[in-house]
Amino acid sequence: MHNVLIIDDSDINLALIKALVLKLGDCSPTLFDHPLAALEWCRSNVPDLVIVDYMMPDMDGLRFISAFRALHGRNEIPVLMITANDQKDVRYDALLGGANDFLIKPIDRIEFSARARNMLSLRTGQKYLADRAEHLSALVDERTAEIREREKELIFRISRAAEFRDPETGAHIQRMAHYSQIIALGLDLSLDQQKLILEAAPMHDVGKIGIPDYILLKPGKLTHEEFEVMKGHAKLGHELLKDSRSEVIQAGAEVAISHHEKYDGTGYPYGLKGHQIPLFGRIVAVADVFDALTSERPYKRAWSLDDACKYLEDGRGKHFDPMCIEAFLAGWEHVLDIRQRFRDEDVPLI
Amino acid sequence: MERNMAVPFVLDKALILDRLGGDEEIFAMMVGMFVQDVDRNCETLATALASGDATELRREAHTVKGLLATFSDEAGAAEASIVEQLARDGHVADQAEAVAGLQQRLREIAAVLSAG
Repeated sequence: MHNVLIIDDSDINLALIKALVLKLGDCSPTLFDHPLAALEWCRSNVPDLVIVDYMMPDMDGLRFISAFRALHGRNEIPVLMITANDQKDVRYDALLGGANDFLIKPIDRIEFSARARNMLSLRTGQKYLADRAEHLSALVDERTAEIREREKELIFRISRAAEFRDPETGAHIQRMAHYSQIIALGLDLSLDQQKLILEAAPMHDVGKIGIPDYILLKPGKLTHEEFEVMKGHAKLGHELLKDSRSEVIQAGAEVAISHHEKYDGTGYPYGLKGHQIPLFGRIVAVADVFDALTSERPYKRAWSLDDACKYLEDGRGKHFDPMCIEAFLAGWEHVLDIRQRFRDEDVPLI
Repeated sequence: MERNMAVPFVLDKALILDRLGGDEEIFAMMVGMFVQDVDRNCETLATALASGDATELRREAHTVKGLLATFSDEAGAAEASIVEQLARDGHVADQAEAVAGLQQRLREIAAVLSAG
């Protein structure tokens, strides 16, 4: 059903046009004898066709069209202007001012029907295209979300592949990723950045894939040479992830290369200091160390929460960015919740 | 400025119906409305003239022009058009007779339609 808006200050013209519109079929006319009242109605209603007289009190048809076109979403709606036979200049102004076509008084039914139908066909086409564009946009969103989910899954599986070669567990990457998010929240990073670090943090140790088993799985203390090889996992991880078009993988590359840097410049691989270290690297450093300390490993017992917190406090400004420590401790209740949610014994597969 | 509606109104129903696609129903509705509104339309014209407001007189003359044209009264519509154009140029007070002529024409048509 097409909603046809008719505006004319003459009752007889309103009645005539209404009757002609009803003869078109599948149309519902809405009548106004005053253009300002019609304009008000148009603020909350969207007609499919506007038929407007030229000469009316307070606001002529040209000014009405201009005001109507200025309303949001009304730019494409077909408008027919009614003019007298001797108003050629008005018809030109109407066409230039946003009318799609015009009708000449006295109105001829055949001419009226043809022009009104043409305008309604135009409107039907516009609606079809708009619906199709909306449908396609929704489809693109859906497919993009699917790809993003697949990307997340692949990142998690790659991260776990590295963890499988390591005494650390799947639950470790879940916990340290969520701790990283807590710190990002405490630092007032945007929701997008919080989500990004949650997804990127699991990739911090992906470079361990390239470390030989005799070093990675060695139960005792590493020799100086072995430790140098082990330190290479930061660069290996970066090498593996860099130059990706994915924002998450780019962030993962940054985390991989920088999460062993220390605030005072004594970390590796580059010995960066303070804010030379990327923020995500400073955040993940806190999250990763805290979880490593408080987790049990074949070669060590889990530290108590108090001891782990003391370690972080002692490392403030040395190993760790003081702001990241503040943010982590400020989210302590969330930290405890995350420890409960992701236990070593019940590792979620994904 | 003296003008008389020289040509008496003759209802050309066939011509009007042709324009309305032969729709007797719409024709009857328009006739009914014209007859019903004739006094009000004459009054509105008089009020516009009395107001001295050229814009108002122009608009009312325009409306009457449309009404007369709807009933295929080309002579009447031409007179209304002259009033409209003169009002556009600022003439009001000197159009009393022409306005009276239009009022008379409206009533003449109403009488013909009522008799019809």
